[in-house]
Amino acid sequence: MGASTESVAFDKPAREQAADTFAMWIFIGSEAMLFGAILLVFLIARISYGPAFAAASHHLSLPLGTLNTVVLITSSFSMALAHLFGNRGRWRASTWSLAATALLGLVFLGIKAAEYTMEFREGIAPVLGVPFTYDGPDPVHAEFFFGLYFAMASLHAVHLIGGIVVIAGMLVMWSSATQSSRLRRVRAIGLYWHFVDIVWVFLFPILYLINR
Amino acid sequence: MNTEALSSSSYLGEGAGPAAWLLTTDHKRVAWLYLISLTAFFFLGGAMAVLMRIELATPAGDLVSDDVYNRLFSLHGIIMVWFFLVPSIPATLGNFLLPLMIGARDLAFPRLNLASWYVFMLGSLFALASVVFGGVDTGWTFYTPLSTLYANGFVSMAALGVFTVGFSTIMTGINFIVTIHTLRAPGLTWFRLPIFVWTMYATALVMVLATPVLAASLILIVLERMFGIGIFNPALGGDPLLFQHLFWFYSHPAVYIMILPGMGVVSEVLPCFSRRPLFGYKAVALSSMAIAVFGFLVWGHHMFVSGQSAYAGVLFSFLSFCVAIPSAIKVFNWSLTLRKGEITFETPMLYALFFLALFTFGGLAGLFLAALAIDVHVHDTYFVVAHFHYIMVGGMVTAYMAGLHFWWPKMTGRMYPETWGRIAATVTFLGFNLTFFPQFVLGFLGMPRRYHTYPPEFQFWHILSSAGAVVLAIGYLMPLFYLGWSLFRGARAPANPWRATGLEWQTASPPPPHNFDAMPKVSRPAYDYAMKGLQHEKFSPHKDEA
Amino acid sequence: MSDIRKLTFVYLVLLALLALTVGSSSFDLGGFNSALNLVIAAAKAAIIATMFMQLSSGGILPRLAVAATGLWLAILFGLTLIGR
Repeated sequence: MGASTESVAFDKPAREQAADTFAMWIFIGSEAMLFGAILLVFLIARISYGPAFAAASHHLSLPLGTLNTVVLITSSFSMALAHLFGNRGRWRASTWSLAATALLGLVFLGIKAAEYTMEFREGIAPVLGVPFTYDGPDPVHAEFFFGLYFAMASLHAVHLIGGIVVIAGMLVMWSSATQSSRLRRVRAIGLYWHFVDIVWVFLFPILYLINR
Repeated sequence: MNTEALSSSSYLGEGAGPAAWLLTTDHKRVAWLYLISLTAFFFLGGAMAVLMRIELATPAGDLVSDDVYNRLFSLHGIIMVWFFLVPSIPATLGNFLLPLMIGARDLAFPRLNLASWYVFMLGSLFALASVVFGGVDTGWTFYTPLSTLYANGFVSMAALGVFTVGFSTIMTGINFIVTIHTLRAPGLTWFRLPIFVWTMYATALVMVLATPVLAASLILIVLERMFGIGIFNPALGGDPLLFQHLFWFYSHPAVYIMILPGMGVVSEVLPCFSRRPLFGYKAVALSSMAIAVFGFLVWGHHMFVSGQSAYAGVLFSFLSFCVAIPSAIKVFNWSLTLRKGEITFETPMLYALFFLALFTFGGLAGLFLAALAIDVHVHDTYFVVAHFHYIMVGGMVTAYMAGLHFWWPKMTGRMYPETWGRIAATVTFLGFNLTFFPQFVLGFLGMPRRYHTYPPEFQFWHILSSAGAVVLAIGYLMPLFYLGWSLFRGARAPANPWRATGLEWQTASPPPPHNFDAMPKVSRPAYDYAMKGLQHEKFSPHKDEA
Repeated sequence: MSDIRKLTFVYLVLLALLALTVGSSSFDLGGFNSALNLVIAAAKAAIIATMFMQLSSGGILPRLAVAATGLWLAILFGLTLIGR
């Protein structure tokens, strides 16, 4: 039982690292099944009501959606840098990159909240009993589109909030953690963060870019 | 006898008091946390079943109202499926045995293991709290649009509880897969693993990949009920059938989450008490994986009368017949293991043989249901109820009892009274058949499930079934008493009371906190019952000196 | 510092792909817009997985998890769509 492993089950840190990474990938696979099932619901609705969905999609803000995608990709880049710096023992740079990642996550949530506000004002948020005042064609199925949009975007946002909370918690306990356990945590949260980014990479064109 | 010294160095004597148990990360103690909570859930769900059977003794609805009856069968299903059957063998025996069987110090992530129990308790108690407020009346399947538009029970609360328990299932699944991949002892290659480990691997695979889809469908129900998003509401553009697709994508493989571990237990017990290597080891191992994969291809057979396309019906019917093949391979191999064996009828062996009979019977009834035309006739009748109880109770719970008795000496360091064990096993077998065989007849005659009244001509079969339920309840209550008694008064168990192969028998009973004094090395295949020395009880390094 | 340069390059490629997918949406490609969007999204996902998540250098086990997930998603989508 070397002091450098966190679980008593392992005696070699390299083995434990492989196990950590594998576990995170299984977890990501599990998460992918969750989002996959919901994407399937969307896909079937999209096949059934294509024109209504395309018209409704144009009521989402493409500039803000694009900006948010840039923000999230940048946060992933910053997370990759945090891992790279940590690997080289440059902990100052790594800490700043982590903080930047979480901050970009917050920016994403802020922009998302602004979008939600606009949609509530326009009357195209069919949730919580808010009146639905959509003026395009086929309002019943447009309402279905907006319902799915709110469900999927919010599920993604919940995952992002989870990631931000974990990063914040890591940074709070940063000084008491050994270097090897820091690296272990950066590696794990990094995998999760990139996965949440990938989810958005799919959600963005699916929700915002329906042409026909 | 050095038993006193032995017990004080065991994992049981390592630290007493609630904190030492509730904050433990030792997989053997977490197994006990699960065992105690699951036993409570089992008897709670069982009590509901007994209430229903008493109600059904007369054709009129005279004991409980229709509303209460609906709530009873819904909670019976929810508790038994998610709070007992799904975690049963993996979280108790699996937790305890997996590291021991592969020669590891613990599971790969001991803290995650403890966390899974807390998440399990949080979710299950949350779901149970809905009973206090008025219960759920949708059945365990939460079918839409009933659950989203019409049900007035506390559906969201129960659904969120089940959703939370799903996290615990996924945590266990991840832990098992990583442990089996990374922590096998030197020399323990994949094809030397005990079949129990193979089935744990297959089960964990299904847990990790199917549970999130259940989570998705439950999230969508909650969103529809609480936020008015019409995902399953046709008036708003949604599709109620889609719920059944997502639900059964999880829930049919979940049947294999429940039965695969039982197959694993039986594959350990049968060779041991017939003193023969498991026949066709590789076929049994690989058929477990085949079940895990094929189990995902058959969910449409729950929807034969739900309005899916006719082509899909034919395809799903064909695939459902195919999934019977790996199960049949196992049954043949278990039967051939017994051939020319020196069979003895200890309690675990009795349970295992009863499993073999009941599982085969229930499985063959499944072939009837896989056939499109017959399924249309018996759909939603007691025939279906009888079929899945033969698999889930006759198969899985019987295997669970076999495993509990088989490894009880290892877990506690005590022997239970053998005669009582054999009596309980026999009573269970008789009570089970008396309860559920008449239900096949009832279903074939046209008695629908989930009704609390029925025409008087069905009463004869219903009385048989209700009488059986009482016998069955006695069969399940008996172990509670004699196993409980044996904890304090049972004879001390030697390290290897059954002269079994397997690494778990090579350490003391109960094992020390660190599992093995010296890390084991493996150079032989599993089930090497022909090995010299084993016959003469010289095999175990910790042989009882009494 | 070539690793930092590599990551920066990957980052710029991702942004370029984003520009491509947004840009393509203003042209009518006769029904191929959605397909193109999905192909670009898949490309971005693959780049993130291999470069940021180091899937290519992490040994066989992570790839096993990804392959299993892919297979199971195919089953979920395939058999549901057939059943309709």
